[in-house]
Amino acid sequence: MSQAPLFSSAGELANLVVNSNLIDVAWANIPEIQIGQAAFPCSVEPMDYSPTPNRTIVVFASSPNGTQYPLPEGGHLVQSSLFQFLSPNECPSVSINRAALDLFTSLESQLHGLKTKLIEREGQLIITGHSLGGSVAALFTLCLLDSMDKKSKCRPICITFGSPLLGDFDLQHSQWNSFFLHVVSNKDPVPGLFLPSSRSPSTSSHSQTSVYKPFGTYLLCSEHGCACFDDPDLILKILTVASSEVSGELQVVDYGEMLRNLKNKAIWKGPQLAGERYGNSFSEGIVMELETIGIDTAKLNIDINGMEREARSLTKKTKASEAKKLNDIKKAMANLEWYKKKAEDEKKSYYDCFRNEDKKRHVDAKNFMEELTIYWEDMVAEAERKPQKEGKSFRTGWLFAGTTYRRMVEPLDIADFYQGGDGRDYINSKRSQHYKLLEQWYKEAAKPPTREDLDSKKKKVSILLTEDSCFWAHVEEAILSCQSLTNATSTTKQRESSWENLVMFGEYVMEQIENCAVSPEIFLNGSTFMKWWGEYKAYIHNFRNFYSSRLVEYMKRGSYNQYG
Amino acid sequence: MGETVGNLIGLNDEVIHPAATLAVEAHNSPSKQFLVKKIKIRHDLSSVVVFAFSGSMLPKDWSGQPTFAKTEIATGEFRSLTSLNDGGDAVVNGSFLRRFKDVIGNLSKAKELKEATEKKRQVVFAGYSSGGPIAILATLYFLEKQTPSPRCLTFGSPLVGDRIFGHALRREGWSDYFTHFVMKYDIIPRIMLSPSSTEHEQILDYFKSKFDRKNINPAPPSGFYLTVMGNASSVASYEACHLMGCRNPSLDIIKSFIELSPYRPSGTYVFCTGNGNLVVVKNPNAVLQILVHCAELGESNTAEVEKRSLDEHSAYLSELKDCLGMQAVVSLDGGPATATLNDLGLSPQAMLCLQAAEEFENRRSRNLEKIRKYLEKIEVELEMMRKYKENAQISRLGYYDSFKLQNEDDDFHANVSRLELAGMWDEIKEMLKEFELPDDFEKKREIIDLGTKYRRLVEPLDIANFYRHSKDKETGAYVIGGGPRPKRYRFIQRWLEHDEKKPFGSRSESLFWADVEQLGIDIKKKGYLQEIEERIQQVERNLIAWIGDRSLDDDVLLENSTFVKWWRDLPPQHKPKSDRIEKLIGEMSERVTQGTKI
Repeated sequence: MSQAPLFSSAGELANLVVNSNLIDVAWANIPEIQIGQAAFPCSVEPMDYSPTPNRTIVVFASSPNGTQYPLPEGGHLVQSSLFQFLSPNECPSVSINRAALDLFTSLESQLHGLKTKLIEREGQLIITGHSLGGSVAALFTLCLLDSMDKKSKCRPICITFGSPLLGDFDLQHSQWNSFFLHVVSNKDPVPGLFLPSSRSPSTSSHSQTSVYKPFGTYLLCSEHGCACFDDPDLILKILTVASSEVSGELQVVDYGEMLRNLKNKAIWKGPQLAGERYGNSFSEGIVMELETIGIDTAKLNIDINGMEREARSLTKKTKASEAKKLNDIKKAMANLEWYKKKAEDEKKSYYDCFRNEDKKRHVDAKNFMEELTIYWEDMVAEAERKPQKEGKSFRTGWLFAGTTYRRMVEPLDIADFYQGGDGRDYINSKRSQHYKLLEQWYKEAAKPPTREDLDSKKKKVSILLTEDSCFWAHVEEAILSCQSLTNATSTTKQRESSWENLVMFGEYVMEQIENCAVSPEIFLNGSTFMKWWGEYKAYIHNFRNFYSSRLVEYMKRGSYNQYG
Repeated sequence: MGETVGNLIGLNDEVIHPAATLAVEAHNSPSKQFLVKKIKIRHDLSSVVVFAFSGSMLPKDWSGQPTFAKTEIATGEFRSLTSLNDGGDAVVNGSFLRRFKDVIGNLSKAKELKEATEKKRQVVFAGYSSGGPIAILATLYFLEKQTPSPRCLTFGSPLVGDRIFGHALRREGWSDYFTHFVMKYDIIPRIMLSPSSTEHEQILDYFKSKFDRKNINPAPPSGFYLTVMGNASSVASYEACHLMGCRNPSLDIIKSFIELSPYRPSGTYVFCTGNGNLVVVKNPNAVLQILVHCAELGESNTAEVEKRSLDEHSAYLSELKDCLGMQAVVSLDGGPATATLNDLGLSPQAMLCLQAAEEFENRRSRNLEKIRKYLEKIEVELEMMRKYKENAQISRLGYYDSFKLQNEDDDFHANVSRLELAGMWDEIKEMLKEFELPDDFEKKREIIDLGTKYRRLVEPLDIANFYRHSKDKETGAYVIGGGPRPKRYRFIQRWLEHDEKKPFGSRSESLFWADVEQLGIDIKKKGYLQEIEERIQQVERNLIAWIGDRSLDDDVLLENSTFVKWWRDLPPQHKPKSDRIEKLIGEMSERVTQGTKI
């Protein structure tokens, strides 16, 4: 079957942006303010306008000197704790361009006040700036986004004109990415200043500067037209090619003039394609868009087929397919719940049922388990790629479902691990990262239980899942400790540590019981837990007849018959 | 190829030019709201009656507050003009609507209209320029009334309605009754893609003095083309982004900072290329792209094109005289034919947009194919559910309560089925919200029937699951506006209500259990307040009505069901319909004993 045609919408998006008056509004106040700024080497001043009740514009103008000659060695990246919040958990350090960061820091107290004021506002907020002013505007917008919560009624967009690259952080997996629009002319050398191959006057070493990452959407413009891209690699390549072709003299681009010209161009039919039509709508579109912004595709060294493949894989993920997927996941969980119930009907815990691999149900359960694991590993990975705060709000929505999943499925992973008899120390040697994170997030979000919570829990403990998803791993380790104690080849030291483990285990289990945190199924006849109790009881009886603990008393008295 | 316009739009060619002539005449006769003319068709001697409407070039008759004079229309006479999912009501230009309302009283009473209806003559509503919107709304008005379908012909008409407006027209199968003739550069059909502005007023003023004949050659305005077409171009680009599957999330942010015209073309468009050729296009997305791109500037300079965009608004009669009846018509649907490229003068980028518009339709057809396969699966699952329901009656408990207990294997399988079905319907729901299925999907008989069957059989299980897990404590009652009730059920219910022309919310029989459960909870919480008593009475009335029309199955009356137990516990003074319901319960009990029900 031939594949459905794909398209590149970079040109259409750019046309939408240019024809709307959004960027004109953003640019409108920049030139006059800029003239007023004369300080050297560079200064930035935020100005706050409200042209209509529903719209606020904040302009970061930079002095013409600063625009023309960003600081020597300004290309250096420095680590910044101030912007630590941008980093996802998986890569915890952030570096920012020194020139921009210095300017931002010098204004910090002033900006803090501005931020507090703006968050309270309603309606549209346009934050804009030219050159280094745009860099500061972007840094300010990032701080603002970090301070906003879901209740904020202010909708920000940051529009920069000819700003240099800002830092090494990556916002590709963040919604924040969509709040940034960078307007760049192919005649403007500033955006490419910190790129390794550009003719930057800066003499800084390349190793320092090659890790810059673009973020947001770039509106790339030439005198013939414009296109919007948001793929950081492609943007980097385009900026590199474009800056290598800028004439040696540093010149200031008049973005106002450029926008007027582009508006006129937008209702022209545009250049007729010189060569053959490609017969492929995607590559035809991309090549046309790149030509429009004055980029020779041959010099760009990009893999258009690869881009098309990637775009195609993305089209498979739609809201409709996500909705279906969500129900599939619920279905898999329902199946595992049923597996658990069937085990209970047979007076077994589902942990033991799975561990002993009886019934063909086992195979089905394993399939559902795998389906769920893939899904949740993806969800956790996605949360990890987002900046901290956003990742947190992303995951709170499903943390409850994720916790149920962890409590339901991890015991099965543990059963799998100890089943062959060779498994040792699941928690430290085998436990999957996504379980650890799900548990950590749950603990961060959970509130300490109240008296009433515990009372209501007591009533329905029989239908609860064991809270500690590693409970069974502790039980398995306790059995191993018992075996080590009775094993003739064990050293004294081993025995001592085994005994210590068992004492701790006893306290741990008792605490779980008192908090109603374990499912009563652990007390079912023949369960791994009861197996442990049998071995432990025998050991105490034979070797430590006078030993007792709260758990030993509890078990000996048979109090567990009243549990749940 | 080889077809005339008349063939393509299903109207005799002999009607079109006289209708256009009458439309122009009516537009310039402000003293009469409309003109009527009977046209005899030569070959079968039948008659067509044309009504054409007067126009106005006053700015207040074109624009208004809020911007674009946006007015929601889906009420009373236009009840179909709404989305049956979350898309809201159709928006039309309020000034045009107001002018229509001024006319409709006299039009409905017109003796020519009565006569045409009696003699079963084809009625055509025609309009030129600002007479066009009135013709469009009048046609819709009578389509809603289900009188013999009138036809609509417009010439150089401005746009009237938004995307939902066009969607509703296509869903109802009315789209083909509307044909709009547009000259290649005519500014008026594009003017509503741009917000009202001084440029708008300049254009209208110019035409006003021209039509009033006070000034035969008024000085044409200039400088408006860039503004109007720039805004129109934004709209076309925004739609093209969607057609092309733009995945840049900035699109939504940017859209929230700018206000685009909500108006979109609907119906069949006939583009007059200016060299005697006509291009007929039905795909609404393609129409929009052509509307904008074919009027782009090429070799000629702006002033020249600007003048032409005014002149062509007055050129319909001469243009149509030349090309009607000629077999030089191209239908663009089914792939952009390269031959039309030259006539419309489209750029390569515009051709890509047209290709994307075509691909969007193809994708909708592919989605429909996919969903058709689902429908078979849905049937199979529903059959299993039906058996489950039947078996559950043996225990005199009913499947609602059996499911709520989740004790048996059957209950578990039903739960898996429930989730399986939810997955498929949720996918359909999301596709509908994104317009990813053909417009008439929600109007298809088999879809409405299957959906209704699904809703009545399976929603009780969703309710059982909801109250089994006491989810009302987290989210509030199952049925509250925009609450936890899954949207798939809300949508499906609206399809049926729309189809039966009943008010929204009237077909809520699948919510019977939710009403009962919530009442039980609220009585415990609040006691027998006035409000609670009214709700109990409502439940009783609903039960009797729904059992009566068989939209609710009588297994709710089984002895051990939550309903019967709850209802029996109610103090007698709160059960005004006690006898009637006891009787129903008794009958049900008897049927189960005799085994006739099973």
